[in-house]
Formats: sequence, structure tokens, C-alpha cells
Amino acid sequence: MQPDLAGLRGQLEKIVGVDGVGADPAVTTRLAVGGLVPGLCVRPGTQEEVSQVLATCAAANAAVIPRGGGTAMGLGNRPSRADVIVQLDRLDRIVEFDAANLCVTVEAGVKLAGLQKMLAEKKEILPLDPPADSRVTAGGLVATNASGPSRLLYGTARDWVLGMRVALPDGERIHCGGKVIKNVSGYDMNKLFIGSLGTLGIVTEVTFKLLPAPATRAGVVGLFPELSQATAAVATILESVLLPEALDLLDPEAVALLAPRLGLEAPAGAYGLAVALAGSAATVERQARDFSALFRDRGGRTFPLPDGKTVLAWDTIRNVFGLLPVPPATRVLCKISVPIGRTGALLASAGALGRRHGMHATVMAHAGSGVVWACYLLGPKAPPDEVLGDALEGLRREAEAAEGSLILQDAPASLKARMDVWGKPGEGFGVMRRLKAEFDPRGLCNPGRFLGGL
Amino acid sequence: MVPKPFVDELRQIVGKANVLDSAVNLQLYQYDAYLEERRPDAVVFVSSTDEVAGVVRVCNKYDVPFVPRGGGTNLSGGTIPFKGGVVIEMIRMNRILEVDRANLRARVQPGLFNLELGTALAPLGYQYLPDPASQKAATLGGNVAENSGGPHCFKYGVTTNHVLGLTVVLPDGEVAKIGGKAADTPGYDLTGTFVGSEGTLGICTEVVVRIVRLAEGVKTMLAIYDSIEEGSETVSAIVAAGMIPATLEMMDQLVIKAVEESIHCGLPLDCATVLIIEVDGLMDDLEAQTQAIVDLCKAHGAREVRVAKEDAERALLWAGRRGAFGAVARITPSYLVCDGTVPRTALPKVLRRVAEVSKKYNLLIPNVFHAGDGNLHPLILFDWRDADQKARVMKAGMEILQLCVEMGGTISGEHGVGLEKIDAMSLVFTEADIRSQVRVKQAFDPKNLANPGKMFPLPEEVRRAA
Repeated sequence: MQPDLAGLRGQLEKIVGVDGVGADPAVTTRLAVGGLVPGLCVRPGTQEEVSQVLATCAAANAAVIPRGGGTAMGLGNRPSRADVIVQLDRLDRIVEFDAANLCVTVEAGVKLAGLQKMLAEKKEILPLDPPADSRVTAGGLVATNASGPSRLLYGTARDWVLGMRVALPDGERIHCGGKVIKNVSGYDMNKLFIGSLGTLGIVTEVTFKLLPAPATRAGVVGLFPELSQATAAVATILESVLLPEALDLLDPEAVALLAPRLGLEAPAGAYGLAVALAGSAATVERQARDFSALFRDRGGRTFPLPDGKTVLAWDTIRNVFGLLPVPPATRVLCKISVPIGRTGALLASAGALGRRHGMHATVMAHAGSGVVWACYLLGPKAPPDEVLGDALEGLRREAEAAEGSLILQDAPASLKARMDVWGKPGEGFGVMRRLKAEFDPRGLCNPGRFLGGL
Repeated sequence: MVPKPFVDELRQIVGKANVLDSAVNLQLYQYDAYLEERRPDAVVFVSSTDEVAGVVRVCNKYDVPFVPRGGGTNLSGGTIPFKGGVVIEMIRMNRILEVDRANLRARVQPGLFNLELGTALAPLGYQYLPDPASQKAATLGGNVAENSGGPHCFKYGVTTNHVLGLTVVLPDGEVAKIGGKAADTPGYDLTGTFVGSEGTLGICTEVVVRIVRLAEGVKTMLAIYDSIEEGSETVSAIVAAGMIPATLEMMDQLVIKAVEESIHCGLPLDCATVLIIEVDGLMDDLEAQTQAIVDLCKAHGAREVRVAKEDAERALLWAGRRGAFGAVARITPSYLVCDGTVPRTALPKVLRRVAEVSKKYNLLIPNVFHAGDGNLHPLILFDWRDADQKARVMKAGMEILQLCVEMGGTISGEHGVGLEKIDAMSLVFTEADIRSQVRVKQAFDPKNLANPGKMFPLPEEVRRAA
């Protein structure tokens, strides 16, 4: 049954006001997901309104797609339907900042960078650092399980979310977890919603655990003529007692992009290892010394990141693909996850794939976490979609053979039409399907975008 | 009662000797570390994933409930076969399958004791961080089922933060590998959903855990106070100073006395409370951190702070803390372990209120708790032979949980809901919240055979109420 969008529009206007609903093609076209232009866009102003919007859409049999900062709208397969975009930017309130208990509760639309700024005033941090944090929202971060370099020391959203409120597909509002750091009351529902890409409901509020801000920060970059030297250094670091905050492996293209901005004298073809250090002055100084010595022993040269500019430098490093001078529509961004020890091998394969097919490839890896990011530019010499798709499937097979995965974080619709963004569902998919059926029996929340069409 | 062909089929899978169904044997499996009892209809010893899957398939065929059991240390009745059926004893699946240093992972079977993994990793220079106080007798499968905590959780997180993958036998007998050595498996986080599900979503038969290097240095302190208030205020002061110690443990006078009498670890008998504080990490600032903490303790009224000089001294302090629950049994034959959690800063207040509950019900309530996490364990002492006392204990326990919730906390920090706290769930969750949890249960276990009658009212009741 096709939803009656004109009727729905009137109902939604009653909830959020006339200004809160957009139907102008000029607006909705810009909000297209996977090429699918939504009929309506709605901007609820409160969590209660989100729930009313969902209930109303459900009653009208309209499919909804939540949207936060818009940084991950390229993630996922083409949705099977896109009737209403639920835009969460007006949910931008800090609900509670309990500095003494190291936790903060925010609405889904709160932007991460702004939140960090507020926390910094009380010398606290939320140790999650995905790229584009000036646009990433709390809700989007959680729904997409976004992460960055410092996941090495701190982990990911699943390690920092204490509680959340969710509007379920039928509009029912629930809360999960709480604000205490140990909590086994009932199922750990937070985990179910983290990374579920809005397919089980819309996260409207998140409570995060926080950390005291480190007293000192510093960073060093090692440059190595050969990849094998860099990966040997990684192995030595991971076997050591050292506790870097981040350990990013950079291929020569990434090094070339970053060198002028970080003040590195990088010979062509050099691989980089960027290390972030955080803690007391004593431990940071000692680690900077140890890393320099360790890089030297492995045949590398060390460059300290400029004093006082470490945070800025890391902002540049984790946003390295943003330095590429092309619009997102002409690139393919892959995220490969493998067991830690295989990181270097997959980084090499991802780079080789680009060279083999005449594409400019930039590859970086969170080397202590087994996460490789490869960005391919689709220039004039790029292969046709079927060739590229086959090549990426080959890379995916290599990741899967190592018990890992490859997903297309962002890619043109034509490539997604040939290649599943997530790969084939693995064991336990039956349970995932039943979870989807329990929470969203009519398949109205982000339909078709997630793994296996969930 | 279960039908005879059912038991015969179980015997075909695991062998005749590995199915127990005599009254005497069954009696041994009708209790855990909580206060209720219920006899199973059969106990099955399993030694492989295939056997577990086979047993579960037979249970599914005959609609017989099943409950996995590891060390039986559960404090909320999680291991008690409330609806009868089969207890699946996992204790023989106790091997370390792989220590994979290159990938910083270990693969273990669920019947392995938590401490045994630590003991195996330590000589290699590695550790598995979650360390429930019961680690000598608690299995990793049980840790997974309960999302166990322990003294080191304040800094390092709980079980779920260290479990990356599982092999599970689902309630219909299907075997699935979920998560794994690599991070961020596409799809829903089934591993994270399964951890802490108290055996109600299936049985894990293999666990992939994160291992990390042993810290370069550790310093352990014992701060001694004449007032419990000052002790608990120190905890918040340390955190406010920007430090995250590995542990911040607290014991009150009654616990100290019991511990000292049974373990002789040199605790002063005339103080009101002690804090066991441990910092770990790189050596370079440990001395400075230790000194800063010693100063803070003294500024907040500690009459003495001892810094353990050698490993033996440190081990003795920990033996005292880990032995606390056991030692308290010297005072009365039984006790109910409460397991509430509050925001850390509410500790002084909640401790005052617990003392009031103790007076009101005329029950001794010593306290031992993970102060850093705000997770308190008031132990309500009583004699199980006295029915009136037991009734008062249950009321006092519920009142303490209510206090925790009032202060922004929750009803269980690490011991689980099990049988004990089904009624308390409504203190923290709305009906809609609970219904959403039941949806998870339905997705994994539509026939409600996996540890039924735990955590929330039965699904059909929740549905009916909706």
C-alpha cells in the first residue's frame, strides 16, 4: 500500500508545526538516500515529537529514515523505500552533565565537537574521535558505531554508552541502561541499538561515560622506507608495555597528503606510523623517547608532532580523506576489519588494488585495532563498475579469509547496485532477522539499507 | 518430570554416565549461591559444542527447559532450574583453545575458571582484565552470562568490554559463531546482546576474549579511616583530581573483622573502614600518583595509609578483599548479598540510609563494595532457620535496591537479575522497557526454553499485560 503522503504531511504538521515539515523537492532532493528522493522531511523538536512522528508514520505505513549530521548517509545499501526523512538536528539539548560522576546525557542531535568543548571546560573528555566530529551527532555516532584512531586505547561506542532513550518504530519510547558504569539490570539493550543504523528505532538520547582529560598530549610520527619495517614496529609496540592512545599506519599516499600539514620531511614512497600519546607528563615524555628509539631500531626516522598542536595534528590525520580534492560522489571508501595481526597485509592489498586498476588509492589503518580504511578516487581511468566490484569482492574475500569483513562506507549508487555494501550475512543472521521482525515487523525503519536487507 | 524417551535420547548424545537423574544427584544441582532451590529433572555433562547442540535440540524437540551451569556461584538464582528440566553442566569444557598474542586474543571454553585463564596468561606477560572476586570458582561462561564485574572494572570495564566473539548454541540447537577476533562485525551486535543475558538466550560454548599486556607497574595502598563517611568522600575526591585508579575497594568494620579473623591479612580491627586503592600502568608516574592519593586520603581524614612494599603484601590485601564474602559466613549461617549501584558521589548518602535499614529491620548489614563504580554489596546477615528473619531480610534487600534507584542508580551492578530481582525490574524499567527486552528474548528463544522464569515475568504475561 502506497502511503498517502499529502495526508501524512498534514498530520506531521500538527505534531511539529508547519515549519517542521518539508515537502519542497528542492529540499527533499538534497536529502536523497542512495538516489532515492524522500517525499517528506520532518524535523521534530523534542524526543516526544520523534515518538509521535514515528507512530504517525507507522499508522500511515510510511518508511522513515533518520538523519543526524548527515555524515553517514552514504552508508548502507539503497533503501527499499524512503518516504520520510526524520531530521534530528533540533534535538540539540544537553540533558545532564554530571561532571563529578563522569557522565553526560545528551539528545541525539548534539554535535560531538561542541559536546567535547563543553566537557573540556570541566577537564573531561568523551574518548570517541570519529572523523568529521564537527558534524557527527551523538545519535549518529551511536547508530553507525563510528570510531577513530583512539579506539586503540579507549575502545568504541559500545564501551562508552551507559544508557539511551529510543523511539521504537511504532512510536513507543523506551530507555536502556542508565547512568551508572556497572549495570546488569536486564539485557544490555544498548548493545542492540549501537551500530543498528536506525533499523530498530531512532535513538533520541544517549548517556556517555566520560574520562578526566589527560594532563599532557604529544605525538610522534615515524617514517619508514618499507612497509615491512613499519609493520615490524607495530608488532613490537603491541608486544610492549607502552600505552599509546592511537597508532595509525599510513601508506605513502596518506603520508604525502599529511606531510606538508604536519611538517614531515617525507621521502617519496615512505610509510608512516603516527602515534598519539596522552597522560601525565612523565609517561608521555618517556613514551615519546621509547617510540623514537623503537622507530630508529626498525630503520625509521622520527618526527615529533609540533608542541601544543597535537590535537590539531590528529584532527588532520583522522580526516585525511577529507584532504583529497574531490567530491565524495567520485570516490569509494572501504572499511576493512581484520584481526590485529593482519592489518599490514590488508593495507598492502588495498593499496595494490588501486594501482592495479589505475585508481588513486589512499590507505590508512588503525594498526592496533585491525581497522583499515581505503579511499579510491574514481578518476577518468577508473575501471567500470563490474571490474571494480569484482576487484573489491576479491579484497573482501581476503578480509573474510582472515575472519574479517569489508564494508563500503561510501560509494556511488552504481557500484552499490553491483556489490552489497555489507557482504553476505554470516552465522546468526536468522536471529538478526527475527530481531528486526520483533522490533519493526512492517519494515518501516530504514528498510533495506542494513546487512542482508534488514 | 520428563519422559523416559527424552532421557534416553540425552544418553545417546553424551553417554549413559553423563546423564544424572537420581534424586540424590539432582539434589546437588538444585541450588546456587542465592537463597532459593528447585530440583532439575536431569543433569547432563557435556564436553563439546556438538554435544551441547545435541542436548539443546532434544530439549527443543520435547519442549523441556534447560539451564547452563558453570561454577554455580551465581548470587541471584540465575543457575536454579526454576521450571525444572535439564541442567547442562559446562564444567568439563574447560580448555584454553588458543592464546593468540599476535592478535591480542584468547579463545577459551566456557567451563574454564576465570582465575585459570589469568594464571595461564601471566607467565607470558598478559592478562584478561575482568576479575570477579569469585574468580577462583566462577567460570568464564558464567562471567559471559552475567556480564561479571570485579574490582578492576572501574578502570578497565566489565566482561562485555573484553568479549569480542562467541560460539553460541541457540535455543533451537543451531550453532552460530558471532563476532570474532576482528572488530565491528557487520550487523547487529549479537555478542554484546548475548553477554549478560543470564542463560536466557542460549549457551555459549566458546569465548573469544581480549588479552592485554600486564601493566609495567602496580602500587597498592590501604587507607584506614575512623569514619566511613570520610572513606567514601575520598573516593570522589580521587576521581575529581583526575585520577582513575585500577581499583577503589571499600570494606566496613564488620567485614574487616570477619576477614581478619579468617585470613589474617593485618587489617586494623578498631577502624571504621578501609579503602584498598590500586594504581597501575607505566612506571614513570606511579610513585607520583601514589603520593597524590596518599595525600588525598590523609586530607580526607585517613588515620593511616599503608603502601604495599612487595608483591606478598599486595597479595595478602587482595586475599582479604576477595575472601570477604566467604569470611562473613563466620558471623551468621546465611546472608543475602545485595548488589545495587549508585552514582559514585551518592555513596556517603546511600551508606547512611543502609545503616537506617539495618536498624529498622534489626539485621546486621556489613558492607563491602566497589566504591569506584558506586557498586555496593551490603550483606544482610541472618539465620535461614528463622522464617521471620528471612522475611525481614527480603524486605530490607528490596528497600536497599529502592534506595539505589532513588539516587539515580540501578538494581544490579554485576550479580544479575535472576530470580531474585524480577520484581525489582519495575523499579528501573517501564512496562514498555520490559516489553522491548522480551522482544529480544522472543527473537532468540520463541519457545522460552532457555532458563525460563528469570529476569522478567514470563513473556506471555508481559504480552498479556500489554
